[in-house]
Amino acid sequence: MKKSWWTMRRKQALEGYLFILPWIIGVSAFFLYPLFKSIRLSFSKITKFAGWEMEWVGFDNYIRAFVWDINFLPMFFETVQKTLLYLPLINIFALFLAILLNKKIKARGLFRMVYFMPVILGSGHVMTQLVGEGVVQGAIDVERGVAIPREILMYMGPTIVRTVQNFMNNLALILWKSGVQIVLYISGLQGISSSLYEAARCDGASEWEMFWKITLPMISPVILLSLIYTLIDLFADVSNPIVDYVRTTAFTNRQYEYGAAIGWIYFAFIFLIVMVVFMAGRRYVHDASAR
Amino acid sequence: MNKAENVMNKLERGLISTYQFTFRYVIEKIIDFIRRKRYIVYNIAVYILLLEFAYVFLYPFLYLLITAMKSPTDLLDMTVRWIPREIYWENFKVAFAGLNYWTYFQKSLLVTLLCVLGHIISCSLVAYGFARCRFPGRNALFMIVMLTIIVPAQVIIVPLFMQYSTYGWLNTYLPLIVPTFFGMGLRGGLFIFLFRQFFIGLPTELEDSARIDGCSTFRIFWNIVLPISKTAILVCTVLGTVWHWNDYYEPAVYLTRPKNWLLPMNLTNMYATLRMIEGEEFGISEVDQLNQMYNTATLMAGTLLVILPLIIMYLFSQRRFMESIERTGLVG
Repeated sequence: MKKSWWTMRRKQALEGYLFILPWIIGVSAFFLYPLFKSIRLSFSKITKFAGWEMEWVGFDNYIRAFVWDINFLPMFFETVQKTLLYLPLINIFALFLAILLNKKIKARGLFRMVYFMPVILGSGHVMTQLVGEGVVQGAIDVERGVAIPREILMYMGPTIVRTVQNFMNNLALILWKSGVQIVLYISGLQGISSSLYEAARCDGASEWEMFWKITLPMISPVILLSLIYTLIDLFADVSNPIVDYVRTTAFTNRQYEYGAAIGWIYFAFIFLIVMVVFMAGRRYVHDASAR
Repeated sequence: MNKAENVMNKLERGLISTYQFTFRYVIEKIIDFIRRKRYIVYNIAVYILLLEFAYVFLYPFLYLLITAMKSPTDLLDMTVRWIPREIYWENFKVAFAGLNYWTYFQKSLLVTLLCVLGHIISCSLVAYGFARCRFPGRNALFMIVMLTIIVPAQVIIVPLFMQYSTYGWLNTYLPLIVPTFFGMGLRGGLFIFLFRQFFIGLPTELEDSARIDGCSTFRIFWNIVLPISKTAILVCTVLGTVWHWNDYYEPAVYLTRPKNWLLPMNLTNMYATLRMIEGEEFGISEVDQLNQMYNTATLMAGTLLVILPLIIMYLFSQRRFMESIERTGLVG
């Protein structure tokens, strides 16, 4: 008998394509096409706004960003510097808080609710306005006083004080940005089987040793995920100067092609960093299936 | 009375010594207690840390709430910091009227609900396809999903703007709503990722037995998989509502006429207007500072009104939400 062309496998493949059909339409219309168009745009100059007619100008827009624009590079470096500073701090704090919250304590649900609150309030423009109103400053003042008494600060040199104060200034912002990461880490911590800890305890391991030898390796995939999430979140943050700069250049000043070019420079950099983190992370992530 | 007699009796018979009444004995007892109950001390330290962080997290909300409730007298009075003498509803009334709250609230609510609905429907469907169906090019296509998460909106917003302007979609809510029904839109890729992680974690037995009974894949998805993925749907609904409600960047680009604005944009406008009025009328003077103080209370009331729906939603759903987000296996 001749084998039917319409095999089970072909049928399943067709079903798969049907399931993702809406996404294929969406990604072509709202992602891939604009992406290519934006590359094209960044190498062109719009000659007529009516029909979006443009002509090829080569690297002019990119050269303008790096050579002529006095605003772009400082903003760019500020963003990069801030992101690279926040990235480890956010994750260390989130992991620390997640470990505290994962202990058997009372009112755990309440604390978790409180720690997730800034995600509700702070993910949008409202947060930016609050920062503008100096609310963050108030929180920091309090935090500074509680964490390090003024008397101790007085005996330290000015440079140390400035470093400490800078750190404390960032602390409040960091804490507010770590809501999602805390939740990620908590769910990661709960995935670790308690039998590992019991076995270690029988062999006389201390809490400290257990953290380094059990918790950290077991949670390493979550750390990688959280690092990448943090990076993307920080780069897309509204308080970022670059993010706003693209909008004002393109839509307020009507320099669409230059806005697209800046967007591409920014994205190329983000992609580079994400890839570096991902590749570096893959090497150190503990793979449970490998054993 | 009875106890004292008992102690004296024991002292006379030499059962306890006078040493037990000295200061040093008390100290030793305390140290001994700490040594025996080390975990209690440890727990207290944990609580102190947690409370301190909780304070920093809660500070903006408390500040918002308190400032919004202060009357002009309380605002001027330096001694009133945390507890206002009375709840001053005038701030809320002014902010309510100034924001034109009810009109914009309806618009914002409509857009947010439609966007969330679109994301839930499209992203769960697409994620099921990625999680369970085998087809050539699946991994490559999923890489594109990840790419949509990584690429920031700033890169494609300019061509998207042109595209929408040729469709005549500017100043309507279509650019915000339509992409969500196709698995794109604000963080659409992230929702696909979340749903896929959840579906991969589900056991396949139920679906296999349904397939043996002759159920089609779409019916399996609709009648079996979706009803048991309430946790994932809840997580995506809460996060989606928050992100869409707070979103400022895309609406600010696509909606240029104030008539069509959404609530957060309107708030920004109110900020700007109030600050401008201060600058024009008074210049730099003490009167200016006073005025600014009153305005701050109004602004805080306005901010509170804008995020009030989110806070209510969060307070009602937080228990289920937190449980769900831990059980969804986002991390799997």
